[in-house]
Amino acid sequence: MTERTYTAVIVDDEDLARAVVAEHLAAHPEIQVVASCPNGFEAVKACAEHRPDLLFLDIQMPKLTGFEVLELLDPQPTVVFITAYDQHALKAFEVHAVDYLLKPFGADRFEEALVRAKARCGQGAPSGPQPAALHDAARSDWPLDRLVVKDGTKVSLVPLAKLDYVQAQDDYVLLKTPEKSHLKQQTISSLEQRLDPKRFLRIHRSFIIQLDRLARLEQTPSESWVAVLTDGNRLPVSKSGYARLKTVLDQGGL
Amino acid sequence: MNPILGSRARTGTYLLGWVPIVALLLLVALSQGWALLEALVLVLPLCLLGAFLFLSSWYLCRALPLASTRVGSHWTAWFTAAAVMAALWGAAAQGLAWILSRIHLLSGLYDRTRAALPTLLGLGAVLYLAVLTLHYLIDAMERGKAAEDREAQMRLLAQDAELRALRAQLNPHFLFNSLNSISALTTLDPGRARTMCILLSDFLRGSLRLGEKRLVTLAEEVGLLKSYLSIEQIRFGARLQVAWEIAPDTEGEEIPALLLQPLVENAIKHGIAGLPEGGVVRIASRREGNVLELRVENPVDEDMPAPEGLGLGLRQVRSRLQMRFGDRMRFEAGIAGGVHRVLMVFPAHEEVKP
Repeated sequence: MTERTYTAVIVDDEDLARAVVAEHLAAHPEIQVVASCPNGFEAVKACAEHRPDLLFLDIQMPKLTGFEVLELLDPQPTVVFITAYDQHALKAFEVHAVDYLLKPFGADRFEEALVRAKARCGQGAPSGPQPAALHDAARSDWPLDRLVVKDGTKVSLVPLAKLDYVQAQDDYVLLKTPEKSHLKQQTISSLEQRLDPKRFLRIHRSFIIQLDRLARLEQTPSESWVAVLTDGNRLPVSKSGYARLKTVLDQGGL
Repeated sequence: MNPILGSRARTGTYLLGWVPIVALLLLVALSQGWALLEALVLVLPLCLLGAFLFLSSWYLCRALPLASTRVGSHWTAWFTAAAVMAALWGAAAQGLAWILSRIHLLSGLYDRTRAALPTLLGLGAVLYLAVLTLHYLIDAMERGKAAEDREAQMRLLAQDAELRALRAQLNPHFLFNSLNSISALTTLDPGRARTMCILLSDFLRGSLRLGEKRLVTLAEEVGLLKSYLSIEQIRFGARLQVAWEIAPDTEGEEIPALLLQPLVENAIKHGIAGLPEGGVVRIASRREGNVLELRVENPVDEDMPAPEGLGLGLRQVRSRLQMRFGDRMRFEAGIAGGVHRVLMVFPAHEEVKP
């Protein structure tokens, strides 16, 4: 019986940093590097295409951070984070990475991480990061200023400043911007927790609005309330949503 | 806010200063045959009114600073104001006397006041000018103190810049990533690994040396930037390109040490590092007449929300220039057409301060 083989993807925006990982992996014939990506977009694409067992992932990269890349992957590969900053280390564990390597690292340290990663792969399906943990992790470091969305293999970034409102659709949320709508696999409640409560408000079981998009409140003949947005959209406001809105408005939040 | 009314202690001292004037006026009135009651009811309110009315000279002091060269032309304004204020004060005295003379015991007050009016007018003008002088004195005192504060703050900022320079050498991200590049190069390209070690040493040594000084020549600062950028070019490869546009007649200009270094560091951190394709960092200098213009430009990712306001590094650079040149400098930073640009304009050949 031959030893099982593993596929791996290396992601780092610096050529030399990718070269180091590739060099270490070259000593392991059982590992096949299927892609080497200079940025997060390509990483998401390569992972969708190759479904690798292992992912060596840099954290600070242009466009998409390593954490954002991970959020978009399904299924989740076994992840080893690689970073020059140990302030990310704690977070790396929060998102269930098997290990993290601090740049620069030696062969011994790399082997150690590899043994762990292979062991995790041996356990069958890797226990992917919990979405909630990812979100908390993302929140703890960068102030959330954008959302990442995947349509097929195409990744879009939605800056929060462009977001008019969010509508729940079963297990998805519809992110409405002036130009277009994006569908993201996330529940509205978990998204609500990531948003700045000073800027966004849940006005209804199914709706979150950006507060500065609210033009006025109107009462319907049936005594319920409707939020009219600056773009003319009319969204229902629930009783508890109205109470929350009123608190914000009374505080002069608008 | 008037500097006298601004502090309770000053207001108290100022009003105390009016006590001898009250006494003097009372004595004069009594010597002119006024009854004590008459003198008291007129002089007390009148002095209180004067004390506050003449504080208005603060505005004149502010409008006509002594620092300007044309002090000669101020005299007309000062004396006109004194005359107007004295007239107001005199009119108030006469009005008050007229009202008080309705009271039986004080029926003679109106005529007595009218007789004393020339004295009152003269005294009013003198008092107004005295309060005006007081304001100029306080102003000069505060200016001196502000200059001292500015000097102290400038020293503090210079120290801060040195500290920052030290930290930049130890900027963990820069250092660890550079070491990682060296680690990669040792097997891939040992020659370049050695080059990078030397560049890193040059940069560390250079920033230590420059950090000790307050002023360096532009050529010295550019030398440091060159070793810094060479290191980053090894790290970022083709993603980082540098365009130098240093005018030869500016190289000898003295600039605050490590003025450009944080800007170039920002250009990489917030510009090039965020762009998959990278781009060009442009560093330019030119002299126009007796002003020096420095410019640092870098492309930025337009999809990323721009951070609000100036970052700490930019604010620090701006305040260092502000401390040194006051309003004789211009500092602009902003994004236009996908390019972040920092522009600094300040006097060339600034004398070296001790």
